[in-house]
Amino acid sequence: MPIPTPFHSRTSELCYSLAWKDWAGYYTVSSYDTSHESEYYALRHSAGLIDMTPLFKYEVHGPDAAAFLSRMTVKDLHKLKVGRVTYLCWCDDDGKVIDDGTVSCLDENYFRVTAAEPSLSWFDRQSRGYDVTIEDSTARIATLSLQGPTSRDLLSGVVNTDMEALRFFGVVRCRLDGTEVWISRTGYTGDLGYEIWVDSNHAERLYDSVMAAGQPYDLLPCGLDAMDVTRIEAGFIMNGVDYHSANHCLIEEQKSSPYELGLGWAVQLDRETFTGQAALRKEKAAGSKRTFVGLDVDWAEVEAAFDKFGLPPELPAHGWRDGRPVYDDNQNWIGQATSGVWSPTLKKNLALAQVATPFAKVGTRVQFEITVENRRQVVGATVVTTPFFNPPRKRS
Amino acid sequence: MSSRYDVVVIGAGHNGLTTAAYLAKTGKKVVVVDGRDTVGGLATGEEFHPGYRTAGVLHDTTKVRKWVIDDLELRKHGLETRKAAPPAFIPQVDGPGYLHFRDPRAAQKEIEAHSQQDAESYRQYRAFLRKISPIFQSLFDEPPAATENLGIADFWDLGKRALSLRMLGKTDMMEIFRIVPMCVADWVNEWFESEILRVAVAGPAIFNTMTGPWSPGSNLNLLMSEILFESAVAGGPAALTSALEKAARAQGVEIRTGAAVTHIKVAEGKVEGVSLANGEALEADQVAASCHPKHLFLDLLPTRALPIQFEQNLLNYRSRGVVAKINLALNGYPQFRCRPDFQPEIVRTGEHIDDLERAFDPAKYRMFSVVPVLVIWAPTVENPSLAPSGHHVFSIQAHFAPYDLEGGWSDARKEEFFEAAMSVLNGYAPGIEQYIVAAEVSSPVDLEDRYGVTGGHLHHGEHAIDQLVVRPVPECSRYRTPFEGLFLCGSGSHPGGGITCAPGALAARAMQGD
Repeated sequence: MPIPTPFHSRTSELCYSLAWKDWAGYYTVSSYDTSHESEYYALRHSAGLIDMTPLFKYEVHGPDAAAFLSRMTVKDLHKLKVGRVTYLCWCDDDGKVIDDGTVSCLDENYFRVTAAEPSLSWFDRQSRGYDVTIEDSTARIATLSLQGPTSRDLLSGVVNTDMEALRFFGVVRCRLDGTEVWISRTGYTGDLGYEIWVDSNHAERLYDSVMAAGQPYDLLPCGLDAMDVTRIEAGFIMNGVDYHSANHCLIEEQKSSPYELGLGWAVQLDRETFTGQAALRKEKAAGSKRTFVGLDVDWAEVEAAFDKFGLPPELPAHGWRDGRPVYDDNQNWIGQATSGVWSPTLKKNLALAQVATPFAKVGTRVQFEITVENRRQVVGATVVTTPFFNPPRKRS
Repeated sequence: MSSRYDVVVIGAGHNGLTTAAYLAKTGKKVVVVDGRDTVGGLATGEEFHPGYRTAGVLHDTTKVRKWVIDDLELRKHGLETRKAAPPAFIPQVDGPGYLHFRDPRAAQKEIEAHSQQDAESYRQYRAFLRKISPIFQSLFDEPPAATENLGIADFWDLGKRALSLRMLGKTDMMEIFRIVPMCVADWVNEWFESEILRVAVAGPAIFNTMTGPWSPGSNLNLLMSEILFESAVAGGPAALTSALEKAARAQGVEIRTGAAVTHIKVAEGKVEGVSLANGEALEADQVAASCHPKHLFLDLLPTRALPIQFEQNLLNYRSRGVVAKINLALNGYPQFRCRPDFQPEIVRTGEHIDDLERAFDPAKYRMFSVVPVLVIWAPTVENPSLAPSGHHVFSIQAHFAPYDLEGGWSDARKEEFFEAAMSVLNGYAPGIEQYIVAAEVSSPVDLEDRYGVTGGHLHHGEHAIDQLVVRPVPECSRYRTPFEGLFLCGSGSHPGGGITCAPGALAARAMQGD
């Protein structure tokens, strides 16, 4: 049975839809309202508050912390300065992705790593010979994600630090209405937004402070359904949905390399040995078989496919996660779309996909499978760049 | 300072010397380096008290491969084998004791004293082992079968092995499948009714391993021990080492003692040589390591050089020593009460299978045996020159003394274990303490410090089915390692520990192919 997060006393009062889901063993809210629509618009037009506590967190301390993380992940973390955050992934010996997350440099020799999956044993395994301690702080530290265009102004009123000075992917230790917190300018919505990290004992106080401060800014508590729409718009991949951790895969084909997930930019090859380096070098030189792309599914063709049955077209208002085949014009299978959603802001039917590299060029026309009345249909789709939605305020 | 060789062999034990001699024979420039001041490792004699010498931490030379002796012409270099291996004497508190000969004819009288029927059973037991031994011998005397990335030649090899098994006939083939994973106690109980014969036969299955007679899989150790039997080397391990050293030097091998390797140099996944404690660098295209695989990969290579899964497999490789070595300098041969005038060369204690199991039990919980099981070799019976005239040496492998003893090994704990061992001996040879001139006790931790065997394990890793089929780990089960030019050639590789010289010889073969 899932357990409550440290914010449960507050979120449970607000969640009148009773739409709960199990996220990594915690009760979390899918949507507070019976539909996630208003929450989505809060994230894009004002501000939304999401309980992110179940995100796995690890505190890495010690003189070798940077060296250890550089060995374990695809990035050289010696270069990460105190007060900065970076996004990356880590791989197995064969260069296949195990998980992805952020690493924050909180102090000299002190880093915080986030992960989608329980990772302590994987981290521990690689730490032999490094002077580090690794703590699973998932339960000890509660996390709130405050996302949306008004989030900066909202925070500015309650913190004892200059929010203008906290740049994109920065992190700062400060007080929020008197509560000691870390605030990082990060998020999973692809928008202006922050994540607030607090000792679990002070979680409720923090929640109350943010909610009170949020009133003038149209702050709305948001569930995971709304966040899922935003993360697809932002082109963010999700472990277990858009790819599968190599540790759980039964066959090679189920595994993905960083290059195949659009994370090639994060891989820093030419440096000291790191896990997966040799295999990634080879793949870089030889080229990857698959490439991560965004798809814009042709709305007119979807409409026509439904019209054949005398039906109005269905909008995927919820993010979908069941894989769907992608074909070339001759109906040859070339890959799969792994998640997608109707974007209310862009008014587009979006999907994230891995396709054979020759089909990955922006503008390429592919065929996308949908089901109408339990019958397979194909509709056209165009390869487009991600993020689909990338507002200037995200980095401003 | 640096010097260039074709091959650097790490460790001057019997396997290291074997590899070196084989490779030098093919014209390679070979150097053997060892951190200790003497050659021979666990297979050499040492003076442990002025005037008293042992002839090896390991005792048993009956498994040295005959083909290695021939290939390296060890007889030319002084090696002699004995006509018959010395029988093991198992004393009894109440009873005549039992002297265990391998040959059923020689054994008949001794067995009949305990069971009429077992004399016949023992003949049948030997006949059965003779029948199945070719298939096992081919497993031990050949490199292990490939299990990954199979090519046509590998399938041919696997097919041949499968065929030779099938050629035994369905009944014997099924019998092999049945008996290998058994516990040795069940198997000897099937064969014999007399407890003393059961214990005599089963003993070798548990010596030097973290195993009791009731442990599943222990029977494989017995089968290995029975089937690898050839003949004993006169003078024991020390004499073998001496012949190997001469053979190696005759082929031009340079042997450097007091030359500890501090690390192995690798670049771009390829071995380049080794660095010595004195700062000297030895360059070579090939490095063969007869040391413990954990020592090689976890201590001598840079931490960050190992692939994660490989490192994990190595860390999981079990190597928890269970033997304390006790050397006794004696001013005469003690009297065994059950045969006062008999001076056996080999003595083993434990009269019942369950005596062995009870001795093993505490080891599981990191405690040592209350009543240890002793494997005693008196090398002075064959070679009196190891001690002053009329004096003797007892070289004792005392089971079970776990490496990771709860609370750790200290002088006090060693003394306690020594007392326990002496009280066992005193039960069979009362008054033995009056013979003791000096005693040396080495815990598994001491053995690790002195001989570099990780975990103090005399076989360089546990002998258990999983670690014998794939030894030490899948990434280097056929002597090659994930690093080009770096090879394993010691007891931590196929076919395992004890004195066979097979890992050293088979590794040399693999290295010649490269």
